[in-house]
Formats: sequence, C-alpha cells, structure tokens
Amino acid sequence: MPDELTPQADSEQREAALPPADGGVPAIEPAPADGGVPAIEPILTVPHEPGAPKPDPILEVDGLSRSFGGLLAVDVDHLEVQRGATTALIGPNGAGKTTLFNLLSGFERADTGHWSFNGEAVTNPSADGLARKGMIRTFQLTKSLAKLTVIDNVLLGAPRQRGEKLWAAPFPNRWRSQEEANTERAEALLERFNLAHMRDELAGTLSGGQRKLLEVARALMADPVLIMLDEPMAGVNPALAQSLMHHITQLVYEGLSVVFIEHAMDVVTGISDWVVVLAQGQVIAEGPPWKVIHDDQVIDAYLGRRRAGAAR
Amino acid sequence: MDFSIIFGNAARAAFGPEAVILALAAIGLNVHFGYTGLLNIGQVGFLLLGAYGTSVSVATFGWSLWAGVVVGLLLSVAFAVALGIPTLRLNTVMFAMVTIAAAEIIRILIGSTDAIGLTGGPLSVSFDAGAFYDLNPYPDGPHDRYGIGTFEFTGQQLWVITVGWLLVALVTAGVVMLVRSPWGRVLKSIREDQDAARSLGKNVFSYKMQALVIGGAIGGMGGVIDAIKTSGADPNGFRPQVTFFAYTALLLGGSATYLGPVLGAVLFWFLREWIESFLRQIVEEAWLPDVVAEFFDGAEGVISVAMVGVALILLMLLRPQGIVGNRTEMQLDAR
Ligand SMILES: Nc1ncnc2c1ncn2[C@@H]1O[C@H](COP(=O)(O)OP(=O)(O)OP(=O)(O)O)[C@@H](O)[C@H]1O
Ligand SMILES: [Mg+2]
Repeated sequence: MPDELTPQADSEQREAALPPADGGVPAIEPAPADGGVPAIEPILTVPHEPGAPKPDPILEVDGLSRSFGGLLAVDVDHLEVQRGATTALIGPNGAGKTTLFNLLSGFERADTGHWSFNGEAVTNPSADGLARKGMIRTFQLTKSLAKLTVIDNVLLGAPRQRGEKLWAAPFPNRWRSQEEANTERAEALLERFNLAHMRDELAGTLSGGQRKLLEVARALMADPVLIMLDEPMAGVNPALAQSLMHHITQLVYEGLSVVFIEHAMDVVTGISDWVVVLAQGQVIAEGPPWKVIHDDQVIDAYLGRRRAGAAR
Repeated sequence: MDFSIIFGNAARAAFGPEAVILALAAIGLNVHFGYTGLLNIGQVGFLLLGAYGTSVSVATFGWSLWAGVVVGLLLSVAFAVALGIPTLRLNTVMFAMVTIAAAEIIRILIGSTDAIGLTGGPLSVSFDAGAFYDLNPYPDGPHDRYGIGTFEFTGQQLWVITVGWLLVALVTAGVVMLVRSPWGRVLKSIREDQDAARSLGKNVFSYKMQALVIGGAIGGMGGVIDAIKTSGADPNGFRPQVTFFAYTALLLGGSATYLGPVLGAVLFWFLREWIESFLRQIVEEAWLPDVVAEFFDGAEGVISVAMVGVALILLMLLRPQGIVGNRTEMQLDAR
C-alpha cells in the first residue's frame, strides 16, 4: 500500500526531534483553512513591498536584467529571499520567472546586475559551481536522464562522491561504503516520492508527473542549502503533491530554504511563507500569501491588464 | 566455389591486426560517443598521431621503439587536450565538425611535401620494429604457419595479434572498471542531459575532457599497433573513413556496451572479407555475364565496404541496439 501516511508519521518524528529554542521557533500564524504551515517569525516584520529587505537573506539580488532581442525578460531592481523560509515566485506566463531562475543558478548570463548567495557574492556564476555551493534548481521542462535507472538518477544527485573522481573510480573499495550510504538515502527518497516500485526502471519509462517527482527527489539528494523548484507540482496528482509539500515544509523546519515557481494558488497559499510576484520581468508585489493574492495590481497582472500606476 | 577459402579469409581478417586496430578505435569511440555522447568524427586523428608518433620517433629521431610508443600515446593525449579546450563547450554538431576538420588538417600537414624531412610526407615513413619482434615467442621460420586453411598466420603476425588482443582485453577491462563507477554514471548523465548534470554540481567540461583524453589515448594505441604491424605509417591510411568504419563497428556491436565495439570490429572485418572473397571467386569462376564481371573485377574491396554499409542499414532496421545492445534503452529515443 503506497504511502499517504508514512511521510506524515515520519515528519512528526522530525518535528519532535527539533531543538525547542533554535532562535526561530515558528510562530503560529492564523493558520490557513487547509491546515497549512505556520510562517517563519522573522518574516512577519518585513514590509509588504517590492524589494523589501529581509532579516536574514540567503539570496540578495541587485539590478539584475536580461533581455532577449528587444524583450526585457528580467529586470529586477532589488530582491531578497529569506533564509529558512518557503518563498513562492508567481506571475503570469512569460513573466520571466524561469529566466530569473536561469540567471541566478548560472544557466544563463545576466546583462547587468549582481547577486549574493549564502552571504557570498556570486562573482563568476557557473551552474555547477553554484550547485556545489548548495544552490540546487530543477527545471520546468523536466530533465530526467532517460537511459539511467531511476535509482541512478537520484544517486547522481549525491554531493562530494569519492567514486566520481577518475583515479578512485576503478577501485570500488575506495567508494563503496559511501555509495551504499547514498543508496540508502536515495531509496528513502524514492519511497517518499512514491517511486520505490520503479527503482530499477529506466527513467525514460516514467510518466510526466513521475519525472517531476524524480527531479525533486534528485535535487533533495544533493543536500541543498537553497532549493529552487520550477513548477514542481505541475502534473503531479493532488494527493501526492500535498504529501510532497508537507515533506518540503519539514525540510524547511530543518533549515532548508525554498523558492518555488507555481501557478496553482492553493499550493502557493498552502506552503509559502512569502510570495514574490513577477510581471514583465519586474517584481511588482511581495508579501505573505493571504495579502498578495488579493492585491489589485497582482490580479491585474494575471488578467493581462496594465494600469497606469502599475506601469512604472 | 570453395567456401572453406572464403570462411578462412574472413576469419583471418576477423582476428587479424586490422580488427585489433579497429576494435581499439571503436572502444575509444565508445568512451566518447557511447558513454559521454561526444560526437567525435575525427577519431582517426588519434590513430594517426599514435602511428606517426611511434614511427617518426624511431625513423627520424632514432629513438628506441618503446620511447616511440610513449611519444605516440602522449601525442594523442595532447591532441585530445588541444582539441577539447576550445571545442568541448560547443554544441554537438560544432564539436563534430571541428574533430573531423582537425584530423584532416593533421593528415594533410603530415602528408605534405614540406614535411618530407620529418614525417616522410606523401612518401610515408618506415622504421625498424625489430625491438618488438625480438620478443616474439613463436618460431618464425619461412615455413612456420599457424592455423588451418586460409585461416593462418606467420609467427610474426601471430605475435602482433597476440599482443593486440591482449591489449584489447586489458583496455576493455579498464573501461568496464571505470564506467561501472559513479564516475561512469556522471559520463552517462552528461550524455543524457548535460544541463541536468550541471545542475547537480558536476563539472561537465572536466568530465568531457577526461573522456576525450581516455578515448583518444585508446585510439592512439590502435595507431601504435598499426605502426608496429606495418613498420611505418602512410598518410593515406588515415583518411576520414577510418572513423566511419569505427562507428560502423561500434553501432554493429552495440554502443555503450562493454563488448559491443570489440564484437563489432570482429564482425566488420569478417563481413568485409567474406564478401570480398566471395566476389573474387565469382569473378574468377566466370559465373557472371562479362559486363558485370568486368565491373566487379578489381572493385571487390570497394563493393564489400558498400555491402557492409548495407548490412549496417539492415541491422539498424532489424536490431537498432546492435548485437549486444539493450532494446528498451533504444526505444526510449523515440519518446
Ligand atoms: N532563450 C530565450 N530566447 C528568447 N526569448 C526567451 C528565451 N527564454 C525566455 N524568453 C522570453 O522571455 C520571457 C520570459 O520567459 P520565462 O520562461 O522566464 O517565463 P515564465 O515566467 O517562466 O513563464 P511560464 O509561467 O509560462 O513558465 C518570455 O517572453 C520568453 O519568450
Ligand atoms: Mg517558466
């Protein structure tokens, strides 16, 4: 019987294991009706405006822009992402959300601007270098490695593998123990993501939704400090998506920072502590979910209207 | 028509030094293309440098054969690095173009009249490979023959192929050990989607370079065997079709499999020689109308290569994964 309950049980254990006064015991917000998650206390003090400074930013972006031809896809004046929180990045199609991810994670070159990650200025952004520092992103169009098995896909995510060094590779005794520990972790993730039965299948045989799940599992395997998920729930069945979101919020309690792009508002309100709204490349609003989704300017942007005041 | 002659010739080619050389070229390509997805269509360049590095060191500089072998291998490694630095960040097609162009440029330079003093230029180069044959344990008198019928070798030939197939076995084992590791998993992930590998912190450029160097050095070994076998090197032996033959062998046997490139090389030479011998006998026995016979006469070699091409097309239709490949993997390409 595949789990809906296992993650729940497991997460309770994690919660219980949390040290009680770790600086930031989550303050209980007026909980959303669906039993959503309490917001992180520090973020409550942040003003609800674009570019608002955060108490403990893991990501700080300044003057970031990128255009394609004549189209200014991203044009972010200032943006900070709070550490240890779940931040949703929303906005209409073509708003520049994916492009912003690409820029920050080193997959695309910015025309102007700079940013810092985890307190360190990103001077020469390379995708793999940023990933090794703990910034792990997933892709809107999934990149499952079709001719690798599902378990190998997840194992690939493990950081600092000794067996990935050329001189150690031919000698399994140099890396076997680490590989076994990684395999155990990978199997636990597959279990969690309802993919355990596909363990030894080639990833190319998975369905679209399963590939999304696989990609998130692989990203988590990489021990991220900040995980950036591009529409992770698209095409995933709602019950499983719910359990996934729960899993992610548990990881946030343990110190992970999450930024995710999402179109479904119930998901956004369900798990995010903070919402950043992007439209035509610019941050047009920021704030807690219950506030942002009622913002007139946001509603207009989603409906494709542009007001005189909004067009800065 | 004597089929024992045809099969004897075919078997002789299938296990002869040419098959060894092709197998090494194809194993190198398997590392490049099969596991890493690098579309190297200049593999012959690595063979050329292995062969000329060995030959020129001995013939022109008067060094020992063993020093020549080392030079040949170092040159193919250097070629991999020099080729990789500017091109590994390019897309697949650009990379392919540069590899074939680079291999051709080297061949043309080495074969030019200006290079006569160094490489023999168009006249080819030859040297004394005695140091290698001195180690030959097989009696090698004028009447010593090993094998049955037309499937037979001289003592010297047997020594070359003994060493050659041992080398193929060692290299295959080495590739298996490498590829079965997390390192090999990274190579395959790059083949499947290099951005995914990058997003998980893998330095794609570095892994591609490692693969290019390893596969190139294996190709270089093929060139070294070629030089020793012929006691020299000729620029005409390193035309682009050598690379395409190696791809044919790799695809026949099965890309990204352990034994595919070796089985493919054996099969390639078996088929090629079988068809050529068969055609030659047909012509000799005057079974064919004169017009056709005239067309075939002297063209058996060319036609047999064409027929191997036809065999490859049939194989791709009937068994696209190659002899030992995995069908399920192949079908994923269509998704
Ligand atoms: N490589 C590219 N070349 C040209 N234009 C591009 C490129 N990538 C993005 N764009 C353009 O930049 C704009 C922003 O695209 P982006 O993919 O970031 O949007 P998005 O907010 O992720 O949208 P969606 O919600 O539909 O995924 C779009 O108008 C798109 O056409
Ligand atoms: Mg997008």
